[in-house]
Parts: sequence; structure tokens; C-alpha cells
Amino acid sequence: MSAKLPKTMKAISQQDLNSFGSLQTPWEDPLAWLTRTANKLRTMWLVWTYPFPAFGKRAWSHYSCHVSRSAARYISIGRDVALARDVRLDVSAAPGRDSPILIVEDRCGLQRRGVYSARNHIHLMRNVICAHSVLIKDHSGEVGESWPNATSHSRETTAGSIRIEEECWIGFGATIVCEQGELVIGRHSVVGANSVVTCSIPPYSVVSGNPARIVKQYDFSKGKWVLGCIRPLTVVKRQRTQAADTAL
Amino acid sequence: MTVLHALLVMAPLGEDESPSIRFPKGLCVRNMHRSIHETSAGFEDRDGFFSRVLTRLNSLWVVATYPFAGKGRDLSLHYASEISRLLAPHIRLGNRVQIGRHTWFHTWYKADTEDKYEVKITIEDGCRIAARCTISAGNAIYLERDVVISTDVLIMDHAHAYEDLSRAIRDQGTTPGGRIRIAEGCRIGHGAVILCSNKGEVVLGRNCLVAPYSVVSRSFPPCSILSGNPARPVQKLAVDAKLEAGEYR
Repeated sequence: MSAKLPKTMKAISQQDLNSFGSLQTPWEDPLAWLTRTANKLRTMWLVWTYPFPAFGKRAWSHYSCHVSRSAARYISIGRDVALARDVRLDVSAAPGRDSPILIVEDRCGLQRRGVYSARNHIHLMRNVICAHSVLIKDHSGEVGESWPNATSHSRETTAGSIRIEEECWIGFGATIVCEQGELVIGRHSVVGANSVVTCSIPPYSVVSGNPARIVKQYDFSKGKWVLGCIRPLTVVKRQRTQAADTAL
Repeated sequence: MTVLHALLVMAPLGEDESPSIRFPKGLCVRNMHRSIHETSAGFEDRDGFFSRVLTRLNSLWVVATYPFAGKGRDLSLHYASEISRLLAPHIRLGNRVQIGRHTWFHTWYKADTEDKYEVKITIEDGCRIAARCTISAGNAIYLERDVVISTDVLIMDHAHAYEDLSRAIRDQGTTPGGRIRIAEGCRIGHGAVILCSNKGEVVLGRNCLVAPYSVVSRSFPPCSILSGNPARPVQKLAVDAKLEAGEYR
């Protein structure tokens, strides 16, 4: 079979790439119009009717993105943010809370099937890219007196706070969980594919594995990336709750 | 009983070699009962039937109108699989390839360069790619015959560049990357990642098994069972030498 190119292929420039780098030329396929119209309508519907504290310009959402109207009160979305297919922004706050709990700053890209589950605080700063199937979760199920005797309705009690600083890249399938305290992924860090992060990561480092370990870091004295760990991970201090103590 | 129903019932199921009713390209009748898209066989469920019809229609549409570099017979592309028409010249699909729901084929070309016509993703006969996979090719990804890929797998032969501190990672583009070749009969488990971020070639030998959620970033010999992050060979498949040498193929 010879490759026959459609005429429109010639005229693709950088501007035709959407924020995920995939091609978006209107004449691509008539069937693709359905999806694109649905995306556009969904984004407009979100902007107009959902009570977001902020929904920046040129931010767009795929039509299958899961955001509930009650959660939208706690979600702030910056400019040029992209929410891809099946992204789940799963937010619920303690009653009486006003400030946004899930903050996605400008130019973040949340790729497909990512789950962002916030009870307390998740902050993605500018230019963070999250690859497919990422899980970022700042709480866990209660492990206390009721567990394991009453597993059916264990309440989620403990909640930490996650901050992912500017320019980070969270790789495919990575899991970032913080049950207590504060977890900070430092500026310009890379989290490798399928790794599990439970402690803070210093800026300018590459981590991977389960549990995540530092693979590479930027050495400012040498001015280049070096293998191994210069600035160590900081372990999130876990405070024992009374409930856990009595259970033990 | 409709005519279509009659035809489908008449079609011999499961025998690859036996002659069956020949439909136009894109119709996948023979192996529909072991399709990756639905688990229900035959007509037991109406919903399964409708999604199957949609899948069939999508296969017909894509095969008829997309300018693939090569396309075989009996393709089955789920109606929600994402293959861009503009990228179709970089993709070659063999016979009886099945592609699942939300599976995303991604590649790109730079305008006004020679690689505009280069084939970057080759999928040979009988490959089955399940739902939610991502296949992202900067240079070349080659799946040989009968590779079975489970759900949520990522195969990527390049990565984001992150070395420059003055720019955001999302603005730095990609590394040049290498090539990935998955030899015939390999099976990739759920959530596994196969990466080749630097130069070189990642080759998974014949009949490798990759365990779920493992991360493979270097080559491995045939018949090894890989597991872990990063993946290590945990044991060798107990096969005779003939199979390992590929004499049965």
C-alpha cells in the first residue's frame, strides 16, 4: 500500500498542535469533529455553569473528564490547563471550608486517566506535566480502632498536603500519596514511570522505583546532572494518632 | 434471523486455517468470538452487540479512509480507539490486528523533513492490543507477530528532555530516543512500561513475558520472564531449544 497523504498534511505548524502535542487540524476526519465539538461544549458548560473559583483562559477539558458540580467549588484551574480524557478530579472538603483544595496552576497538563483525589490540599504549580494514569492522593482510609473490624465504612480521616512545584514531570502511572504532613516535589523534578512516591523530593532530581529513590540530581557546583544522590529525600514525619495507638 | 446473523453463525469460529466467508477488508468475522473488545460471545447481550457493530463500522471506516502505510485483512479497531488520520501514513498494521478501546497511537513528524513518509509504528499479523494502551513512537516501534499487549501499557521510544534548567520540561521537547522491537509471541502485562529514552535499541526477545506494572528499559534475551521496576529477569521460560530458536514458527 502506498502512503497517500491528505492535502492538509502540508500545512501543519506548531500552532496546530494542542497542548499535548497531538495534531488538531479541523479537516482530519469528519468523525473527529464529534469528539471535538463535545469537548468544546463540555468546556463551555464547565466554565459557565460550574462554580469554579477560577477557570483560566484557554483551559480545556475533554468531554469525559470527571468533575462533579459540588467538587468544582474547591477546584481552581489556571490558564492553558488541559484535562484529558477520563481525568478524575475527585475532591471533597470538610464542611465549612472555603479555600480551593485542588489548585492547578497555569499551563499544567493532566494527561489521560489521571486521578487527583484531594481532601486537604493538592497544589500543582505552573508548567507541571502529569503523564497518563497518574494517581495523586492526599489522604487515606482510616486505620484506627474501627479497622479491621469494620472495614465496610471506614472514614477517611488523615489527610496531608501535596505540593508539586514548577516544571515537574510526573511520569506514566506514578503514584504520589501523602497521608500526613506535607509532601513537596521540588522544582524541575522528574518522577519516573510506575514509581511510588511517599516522601518529599528535593528540587532538580530524578526519582524512580517503588519506593521512589533518587536516580539523578543536578549538581550546581559541577553544573551538570550526576548519577546518585546529593541532596537526600526528606521523609515525611508521621505522627501517631491516638486511634492508631489504641489499635496497636 | 437476519441475514447478518446467519452469516455470522455460519462463519467458522476459531480455526485460523479454515476457509471462511470473505468479507471486505476490515470485517473481522473469524476471530470475533475471541475478540479483545468484548468478553461475551455471540449474541448473548444486546449491548455487546451494539458495541461490536460500532467497532465493525469504525474498522470499515478507518480502513477505507485512512492512508495507512500498510493494512492487512480482518482488522478490528475499537470505535473508541484513537488513531489520528494524519498519523496513519506512519502506521503499518498487519492481518488480524485487534486494537482496543481508548488505545492511543501517537507519533509525529516535523514539517518539511524527509521522515514525513517514514513508517514509525509497525504492527505485524495477529497482534492484539487491549484497551487504554499508549504507543508513542518518535523513531520506530516494531511489534512482531502475535504479540499480546494487555491493558494500560505504555510503549514509548523517546522521553521528555529535562536537562535544561532554564526552561520548563514541557517546553523542552523530546529526547532523540531509540527504537523498540518486541519479538514475536511476547506478552506484556497490565500497566507495564517499555521505554527507550536514550539512543540505542530495546529488543525483547521471542516469547518474553513481562509482568504487570514492570518497567522495561533495556533489552532482554528470548523466553525470559521480566518483573519489577526496573525490570529484572526473574526466571526463564521452560521451553525446549527448538522453540527458543524459533523453529516452530
